[in-house]
Amino acid sequence: MQSLTSTAYPQTVNRFVFPNGIVLITIENQAADLIAGRIFLKNAGSGWESRAKAGLSHLVAAVLTKGTTNLSSVEIAEQVESVGASLSADTSADYFLLGLKTVAADFAPMLQLAGEILRSPSFPEAEVKLEKKLTIQSIRSQQEQPFNVAFNHLREAIYPEHPYGVSVLGTEATVSELTRADLLEYHQTYFRPDNLVISLAGRIDQQQAINLVESAFGDWQVPDHPLPQKTLISLNSNPSQQLIFQETQQSIIMLGYLVAAVTSKDYPVLKLISTYLGNGLSSRLFVELREKRGLAYDVSAFYPTRLDAAPFVAYMGTAPENTAIAIEGLRAEVERLSTNKLTDMEIQGAKNKLLGQYALGKQTNGEIAQIFGWYESLGLGIEFDSQFQQDVTQVTPETIQAVVDRYLDKPYLCVVGPNLNLDLN
Amino acid sequence: MQQIKLSERLKQIQFLANTFRLDSGLTVIHQHLPATPVVVVDVWVKAGASVEPQEWSGMAHFLEHMIFKGSSRVATGEFDWVIENSGGMANAATSHDYAHFFLTTSASYLTDTLPYLADIVLNASIPQEEFLCERDVVLEEIRSSYDDPDWLAFQALCQSLYQRHPYRRSILGEEEFLLQHTPEQMRCFHRTHYQPENMTVVLVGGIEQEIALSLVNQTFAEFSVRSECPPHQIEAELPLTSIRRHELQMPRIEQARLLMGWIGPGAERLEDGIGLDVLSIILAGGRCSRLVRELREEKQLVLDICSDFSLQRDSSLFTISAWLEPQYLKTVETIICDRLAELQTTPITEVELARAQRLLGNNYIFSTETPGQLAGIYGYYNTIATAEQSLVYPLTLNRLQPKDFQRLANQYLSPERYAVTVLKPL
Repeated sequence: MQSLTSTAYPQTVNRFVFPNGIVLITIENQAADLIAGRIFLKNAGSGWESRAKAGLSHLVAAVLTKGTTNLSSVEIAEQVESVGASLSADTSADYFLLGLKTVAADFAPMLQLAGEILRSPSFPEAEVKLEKKLTIQSIRSQQEQPFNVAFNHLREAIYPEHPYGVSVLGTEATVSELTRADLLEYHQTYFRPDNLVISLAGRIDQQQAINLVESAFGDWQVPDHPLPQKTLISLNSNPSQQLIFQETQQSIIMLGYLVAAVTSKDYPVLKLISTYLGNGLSSRLFVELREKRGLAYDVSAFYPTRLDAAPFVAYMGTAPENTAIAIEGLRAEVERLSTNKLTDMEIQGAKNKLLGQYALGKQTNGEIAQIFGWYESLGLGIEFDSQFQQDVTQVTPETIQAVVDRYLDKPYLCVVGPNLNLDLN
Repeated sequence: MQQIKLSERLKQIQFLANTFRLDSGLTVIHQHLPATPVVVVDVWVKAGASVEPQEWSGMAHFLEHMIFKGSSRVATGEFDWVIENSGGMANAATSHDYAHFFLTTSASYLTDTLPYLADIVLNASIPQEEFLCERDVVLEEIRSSYDDPDWLAFQALCQSLYQRHPYRRSILGEEEFLLQHTPEQMRCFHRTHYQPENMTVVLVGGIEQEIALSLVNQTFAEFSVRSECPPHQIEAELPLTSIRRHELQMPRIEQARLLMGWIGPGAERLEDGIGLDVLSIILAGGRCSRLVRELREEKQLVLDICSDFSLQRDSSLFTISAWLEPQYLKTVETIICDRLAELQTTPITEVELARAQRLLGNNYIFSTETPGQLAGIYGYYNTIATAEQSLVYPLTLNRLQPKDFQRLANQYLSPERYAVTVLKPL
């Protein structure tokens, strides 16, 4: 059976580079009366933070839209909300993002506003103070969700030195020390045209897009100092086990592995393995642990796309008395991949599912702008979209087994729940 | 001038889907989107938690799980495999007013996959062994929702707000009832409600009308032999006469929650519902809104605050929810009540109304981008009202005037009659 691929969507992705280094990606789509924009700062994001300043990118994102040299927080909000647009800043591990969405007619003034926000934010002292306080409350609130507690501990164990080890929010200790001066410095370091990827999808053609970007960003000069380089932190797998007591109704069991970056040749193989194990109603973990044994409602696996070595996680929530069985069940399913070669039918099924869902993940203009802008900002180029799909079709049972043996040997383990006397061996 | 504008607008948002009633009584809604290679099929059944007999609580949702266990012709797991192996996705959801089952697939595979969906929905066999195993899954789902403080607080608010109507029920049901349910009872529930007059099949995407209708005619043909459940009662909810206060304490939580709820109009008064949607935006939609500006940005009493209007068939739900430090609970509740009282006495400004209309109008455009979103809107409206009423939304929205909101606030959002649930750290 052949599966859906993105070639089924007649999309033309245009790429244009401005003299000041801005990369503009335009995907024209006349279907709906809207334009979605994703403006990436490629060499930025929480992955670029030192441990002492964890949470800085997030705080910049929270305060960024709350004042420019010409506009107050209220004026910005009024400009955006009076045309029913959305405009918000966000950070992730590998990039910093300003996202916007408007009906087509309102796009030009919103992009102009985005330009002003990116180029001359004022980071008002009072707004810094407010957003710091709210961020610290959000960090505490993360403790309320057992899944977050488990993932936070697992992440910290896998990445003891690396910024991937901390939530993008930072920690109470680091956020409370951040100052307006830190935000200004962050802005000076990372907000520059040669660090910008602008990705637009919707009712706009490339020439219109070029004109709008020229008007909002064309005269932005590249500063004299070079783009910052990332401090390389070597990563080694050193599995550990953690038991976190919480008075919950369910135990959360999480197995984690340190695996490969998006740039690795193993990336498509690991995406296929995580699809096979944990994606959808026909996935191996779902069928074996939920459908056949009734152990869980939520049981899954995920492997995020990252510029440095990413985590690979398999997890489930189950009644506390089933904790030991669940750990054993998850482990056995991962180990089985090493001892039993997958059948051709299993692999073809996983490929069809992965490629089908990948295509279905590019339906809205927001999704389309995001994926191409993201690949460009990661340094993979817009061609990665088709390259990735091509690579997935090439995966064989042998490559799967080799990759499993390379990365999925011994897991980091984290259990959150009310059982204190669990014997983890 | 005014008239020209209005007629243009009308043309812009004409109902692009077609509705059909088949001989069996089944409703079919179709919209052809020639540019998309995908088809979404969304089957809506008026068989949500509201039609459960009292002691069968949780049955509608549990049945939704059991549908996926197959029929006499489709083995357990076979449906999931067929759909996902052809690059598609399927899932389902249950609420008080409905259960629905949806499938996204490449247009070229629809003839292969749709018969499976139709057969499991119409002819679920509900085998005993699978029933017992899946019950454990549902119990895990309940357990995990008990670990979610926001779910718990919302559940408590609904129970307090609805004293008689089944909207007070948890859709997931309770463990003690679930353990008493039998496969025979579930089959009876299924055969009573999964009948053509209760169902709407929506197809949106790269499929032409004639082919779509012929496919539905073939696949949604054999319904189960009818059965009759024990009767269920849906009692109209009496208006609140006072403040119903409820306080919960929970370990492990870092923030208190303040949830305030009001009973809104039913789907037959859609226009009032749209007005309340506007009020939820004016109160707490975005940084310009009254409560976000005052309580989060200026007085800094809340971590976050939002307001939501949720349209339901018999009586809708209007809520205001805040996350905050426990010491501010009383102050924040008092301020919210003061602001609601102001809505009754003072008209909202033209600027506020224009902003809310623009925002909701755009949200409507933004939420009809994909075939899945369109199918969802048509099916939902056809289940609680009629599909064509999904069109009323933008028209009514733009007709509302500032004075309308004083009446709506008076009628629905009383600061003296509401339910409030407070969740505090233990």
